[in-house]
Amino acid sequence: MDLPLTRRALLWRGVALAAVTAGAAYGSLRGVDDHWPFAPMSQFAFRTDPDGEVRAAFVMAVDARGDRRELALTNETVGMNRAEVEGQLEGFRSRPERLAALADAWAALHPDRPRLVRVELLERVTRMRGGRLLDPVQEPVAAWGAP
Amino acid sequence: MGTVTSPTAAPAPARLDRARGWLLPAVPLERVAVFRVLVYLFVPLDVLLLHTIGDTRSAANADLYSPLLVGRLLHLPVPTEALVLVCKWGAALLALAALSGRAPRLLGTAVLLLWAEYQVVAFSYGKVDHDRFAFLVALAVLPTVGRARLRGGGPSEAAGWALRTVQLAVVATYFYAAWAKVRFGGWEWVNSATLARAVDRRGTVLSEWMLDVPWTLHAGQWVIVAFELLSPVVLFVGPRWRARIVAFFLAFHIATYAGTSIFFWPHTLCLAAFLPLERLAPRLDAVVRRARGRVAGGRPAWTSR
Repeated sequence: MDLPLTRRALLWRGVALAAVTAGAAYGSLRGVDDHWPFAPMSQFAFRTDPDGEVRAAFVMAVDARGDRRELALTNETVGMNRAEVEGQLEGFRSRPERLAALADAWAALHPDRPRLVRVELLERVTRMRGGRLLDPVQEPVAAWGAP
Repeated sequence: MGTVTSPTAAPAPARLDRARGWLLPAVPLERVAVFRVLVYLFVPLDVLLLHTIGDTRSAANADLYSPLLVGRLLHLPVPTEALVLVCKWGAALLALAALSGRAPRLLGTAVLLLWAEYQVVAFSYGKVDHDRFAFLVALAVLPTVGRARLRGGGPSEAAGWALRTVQLAVVATYFYAAWAKVRFGGWEWVNSATLARAVDRRGTVLSEWMLDVPWTLHAGQWVIVAFELLSPVVLFVGPRWRARIVAFFLAFHIATYAGTSIFFWPHTLCLAAFLPLERLAPRLDAVVRRARGRVAGGRPAWTSR
């Protein structure tokens, strides 16, 4: 039997609940992802204009044999997934040499495959009209080549 | 947990009693015991199979590491392979140990810390997932219940508080998700093309046709915001409606998975905190006893009390 709780047990439970509730409320009102676990629940919270565009980052990579192909942006391929690369997109744009990190991660995760000598980060941009998708175009963001 | 209260205390006003009954309902300890089994079974599944993005972090260049606030405040180290392995396997193995119900506070706290650090590592590279708040709360409150067996526990306010807290975290996840849409997208979010974008980026054969029938996605956005804003209702209805609403939540997550291959695993598991899980306790108890009997060397389980 565990009934009823003592006053002390009640008190700290009340305080803990109030603190976490306040944290979650602050995160949602003012917070950003950086404050996790008290971050805003912002999955799919951003508004996409029905007459705007959809952007999706992707990577083209050239390996030591000269093969050029699209590299899936997952944790298994380059240690980061697409959303994470997109989260740092401006960082890659201003400092393209940071793309070397993706080539390093590829090499670390695939020791018996040819190394990447060139990494190009691009965006697939699909314009929309009235929520309907038009044909996509590609826009380069940054490129890095092994020195 | 403490068990004493003064029998001479003056009767509290009825409203205070009602609030206490709501926030600390005396639920069977077996309910929290079953919930604990679900949670600690899920931990190894999560870190070993479902959400292993912490693993490859050490391969990613430290240059891309952008630690969360909590990581900076606590001076958590830049993830190395060793750190990731300790968190991952430590959480998995200690969760399995915690399944036994022994040392629930010690093991439960250790699992909480290791699992949480594994998440912080995973989230320190530019993206944070929002399906893990309720589960984190579940890991935090389970140790506070202390001992809870699958058989013969009786009612407990500590168990009721723990489960109620998980329920609040689940509802907060929905309600604040609607709030975030209004905050970042504005009320016009419901008329946006956000779902079209999601399906364009992550669509499946089950959802891509909807891009050609945009009103279906448009209507979906209204449904999502409406149910997220109304989700607190589940905290105040009777058991029958509670089960129906939880079934709706589950259906929503299954539909999301079918359409975008995103499934909010840990959050969905926490929906169990709304259900009369104690009904599963006898069967689960029988399974545990049989397994223990086998481990104890083939003795029939019922003799090994």
